[in-house]
Amino acid sequence: MSTTLETSRGRGQQPPTPPTPPPPPPPGGALRRTSDWARRAPLLPALVFTIVVTQLPFVVTLVVSFMDWNAYYPDERGFTGFSNYASVLTDVNMREAILTTVILTVVVVLVSLLLGLGVALLLDRRFRGRGVVRTMMITPFLIVPVAAALLWKHALFNPEYGLLNGTLNGIWRLFGSDDAPQPDWITAAPLVSVEVALIWQWTPFMMLILLAGLQSRPLDVIEAARLDGASTWQIFRYMTLPHLRRYLELGALLGSIYIVQNFDAVFTITSGGLGTANLPYVIYQTFYQAHDYGRASAAGVVVVIGTIVIATLALRTVSTLFQEENAR
Amino acid sequence: MSTKEKTWWWVGGVLIILYCLFPIAWIVSLSFKTTADLANKSFLPSAWTWENYSTILTGTASDLFLPALRNSFGICLIATAISCLLSMFAAYAIARLDFPGKKLILGTALGVAIFPVISIVTPLFNLWRQIGLYDTWPGLIIPYLSLTLPISIWTMSAFFREIPWEMEQAAQVDGATTWQAFRKVIVPLAAPGVFTTAIIAFFIAWNDFAYGISLTSTSAARPVPAALGLFSGASQFQDPTGAIAAAAVIVTIPVVVLVLLFQRRIVAGLTNGAVKG
Repeated sequence: MSTTLETSRGRGQQPPTPPTPPPPPPPGGALRRTSDWARRAPLLPALVFTIVVTQLPFVVTLVVSFMDWNAYYPDERGFTGFSNYASVLTDVNMREAILTTVILTVVVVLVSLLLGLGVALLLDRRFRGRGVVRTMMITPFLIVPVAAALLWKHALFNPEYGLLNGTLNGIWRLFGSDDAPQPDWITAAPLVSVEVALIWQWTPFMMLILLAGLQSRPLDVIEAARLDGASTWQIFRYMTLPHLRRYLELGALLGSIYIVQNFDAVFTITSGGLGTANLPYVIYQTFYQAHDYGRASAAGVVVVIGTIVIATLALRTVSTLFQEENAR
Repeated sequence: MSTKEKTWWWVGGVLIILYCLFPIAWIVSLSFKTTADLANKSFLPSAWTWENYSTILTGTASDLFLPALRNSFGICLIATAISCLLSMFAAYAIARLDFPGKKLILGTALGVAIFPVISIVTPLFNLWRQIGLYDTWPGLIIPYLSLTLPISIWTMSAFFREIPWEMEQAAQVDGATTWQAFRKVIVPLAAPGVFTTAIIAFFIAWNDFAYGISLTSTSAARPVPAALGLFSGASQFQDPTGAIAAAAVIVTIPVVVLVLLFQRRIVAGLTNGAVKG
């Protein structure tokens, strides 16, 4: 067992070999094809089962979202058309939640992408102990998200024994002062607190994707550019960055998809208070505290639509990547 | 590389380690501190104690923590096994069969993977209560499958695509039966892919919080992340920080062990699935 983290490809090798093209249809025509199907068709139920298991709940949500269904008023259950959607989109709380979700997602994705790029560039260099650093780097990603959120809430942001204020104390003591500022971080900047915790967890993910991108660069071309007198910055700006574009896009899109629906961090760190309630948290509240199933479902559908918009972009990126691999 | 440059890379490396590990080291240190020691403003505990660990393993919080640990292991292992089995069939079909709508199915699988959990939780809550699955193991295993299956299918078919399937025919030409060819040739080739998929699936199920907190109400099925969210101190005014720190350490250990043991495969699996499409 090795404690270093090496990607499957070594440095300096050519880009990954394109996946083998699908085998040509076997000769023999219809007869052969029927027997193929007979042999393999039993495998298809697994696919069908998967889709049913995962799609059925959504169909239920969709139906409920058009219903007037509040557990406190059981007699008024019935279909109401789009009124739930109207109230979701006009309600001030919901609109604030949508805005919070957008801000949270954009900030977390951008900052963790930037940090991840920095770390990936660093880890792309050869230096002693690189493997160890790389392994250490992914640990935040491995911590159970709730545990990570609790870690930030209780162990870092806490005004009395949190690591942040402890560090401030230490720095102030270095300069012979005893009254370091001891802010209550979560109260002072609730949304930023949530964002920082999420950024810490997502940087390794971005780093992994970008590192894979860096290592698939054609090194001989870069070497040639260097011989021709290009500076390090020029090489980065005109060769590395364009090559990384797709990987940056992929990281951004995958990250957004997951952070849009983040629930754990908001629930744990602020319980949605102080203007940090994002859409998933508001849905949870509408459902479990207001017991308004119809509205919660409608808001759920809104989240789904938002995710699908991002996901379509993501799928497109993935498929262009795939096509490029094939074209090479 | 010049010595000066080397120094800078070293500094950078150390900074990264600090950024990533300092918070983790801190929580480990907290988990060994006594309640009185928590606010002592020094990094290491003044007296190391197992108090917090005994609180959650044998003491007052063990009613909450131990069943949750058992539930999490049981539910996640079962969900992982089922999802590996199903996705093996599905990925085999995707890799071997040429049928219309194949891309659509893979696309749907990915679409389901990014489905907001919170939108599935709410209808399930009502449905489960009506059919008696609320607060039971199957009641969590089924939604966990909806989390793990799409990713499993996706990762596994990325692996299966790379398998040289001609070898199966070659084995048959050499006189092996279909079953033998599958069993002796394909299974060993596919094993690493299945294995990686299993780890990723377990990781996803183990980390879930939204389902865990919404679809359970007692220790009959409540998984660890949900239990962590419910920890409270001995009194309303006492933060259970020590116990939470200890629990967080224990919960994270299985995942870290798994990943450190098999990280090479996992990274290969993730990049295969994500970047090669």
